[in-house]
Amino acid sequence: MRQNEPGDDKFASFVFRLNFDGLTGTKIILWLLAITIVSFAIGFGILALTGGFPPDSQNKDTPFRHSSMTAPNTTQFPRGDAASGKISITMGAGELSVDGGSPEGTIMEATIFDKAPEWQPRYFQTVSNSTAIIRMEDPGHKGKEWFAPHSPNSWDIRVADRVPVDLEIAVGAGHSSLSLGSLSLNSLTVSTGAGETDIDLTGYRGSAFTGSIDNGVGDLTIRVPRTSNMQVTVRQGVGDVTQHGFEQQHERYTTPGFDPALPASDLLINQGVGDITIEAV
Amino acid sequence: MLQNEQEFIRILKDRLSGTLAKEELDDIVSDYAEHFQVGRANGRSDEELWRSLGSPEDVAREIKAMHLVKKAESVKSCSNIFHAVLATLGLGLFNLVFVLAPFLLLVCMLVVVLILGFVFTITGPVTLLYSVLQMAGLPAFAIWLNPVAGIFISVGITTTGLLLIIGDYYLARFFYRVGIAYLKWNISVITGTEGTA
Repeated sequence: MRQNEPGDDKFASFVFRLNFDGLTGTKIILWLLAITIVSFAIGFGILALTGGFPPDSQNKDTPFRHSSMTAPNTTQFPRGDAASGKISITMGAGELSVDGGSPEGTIMEATIFDKAPEWQPRYFQTVSNSTAIIRMEDPGHKGKEWFAPHSPNSWDIRVADRVPVDLEIAVGAGHSSLSLGSLSLNSLTVSTGAGETDIDLTGYRGSAFTGSIDNGVGDLTIRVPRTSNMQVTVRQGVGDVTQHGFEQQHERYTTPGFDPALPASDLLINQGVGDITIEAV
Repeated sequence: MLQNEQEFIRILKDRLSGTLAKEELDDIVSDYAEHFQVGRANGRSDEELWRSLGSPEDVAREIKAMHLVKKAESVKSCSNIFHAVLATLGLGLFNLVFVLAPFLLLVCMLVVVLILGFVFTITGPVTLLYSVLQMAGLPAFAIWLNPVAGIFISVGITTTGLLLIIGDYYLARFFYRVGIAYLKWNISVITGTEGTA
């Protein structure tokens, strides 16, 4: 019977051709040297072609982001004499987290993951009729990020507790996590294009408010206090609605003991595609 | 203290036992015994012979140092070179400057290069992983100005680390050889046998 030879098997033949026996110490060193030179040349070449090298004033002599190893960039917005707030947050893509508990004397605190200039949002702050108006906008990205298809945006927003606010949030794509239980809302407007959205109003003791949630594509979860006087209207395109703890009348869901004669929060949900979960806890 | 052959041999044996093999020690002892016998045959006293040889403690230190240096030369190891350096230090205080200082300097340099090599070798794969995760759009890993460039630079960092480790190995071998030659020269200068070997 004929013995198997390397030529009988493609992989064995490949390994055979690699000729590891001839791989001496000198050859290994020369290979490593060649790989090192070529890798650095290609790496820094790409940086040079995409405008990341030679380094600018933000990134001195390094291919790393100037801010990558530093603490996130935090901006605080003083409350001043404002009795209420109107906060508008517009994010193109990324991860958005909104919570209560901004530091004393501030109406909002924004923590941005990256200090790199291209990722900084634009801020506008004015005061009108004792209302602090804050706008925070994603400037949009262009240029050298075509190697990074997704935005590395990550915003962590904290809003003052117990200060009445109109909160308007728009997210193009990404995950939004809104923990608003400790806030006092006058109104809530959430508009998301694609992505998962969690709105947690557990523990909410603020005044009644009106809310509008427009969700394009993605799952939506809303949790409200069971003891609150709230009605939720759901208009849905494609997807399932799951509810816990609500009383349902067609597309209208009310918390147990809902009394329209009392101040009530009114939430309207418009959902394109995706599942909706509403819970009264 | 009596300065005779028996005392000389006793001290020599006492100082060298545990360092030299029995056969080697017996050879050395018989050489010195013969030296005494020949000296006495030529009409010299034990005291004179003792003084001409020097104190048995110094003789033992020199023999021990040369033995350990030769051992380090034939069997290369960190332990052997360390013992050889320690034995050479015993030949004179000035060797703290001429042997210990350069030895520590070299060891520190080799250790630093080795640590750098390992740090680079480990850092490369980590930054490579960061590049991949940054390309996947995970913000917590966005450390590179450009993640594709990061992949290539990470490979370069890894191979630089490997080259440093390999280079450190060859440097260590080179300095080992140079070190042995230096220790031998140092011992020969101290014992006054320079150029007679």
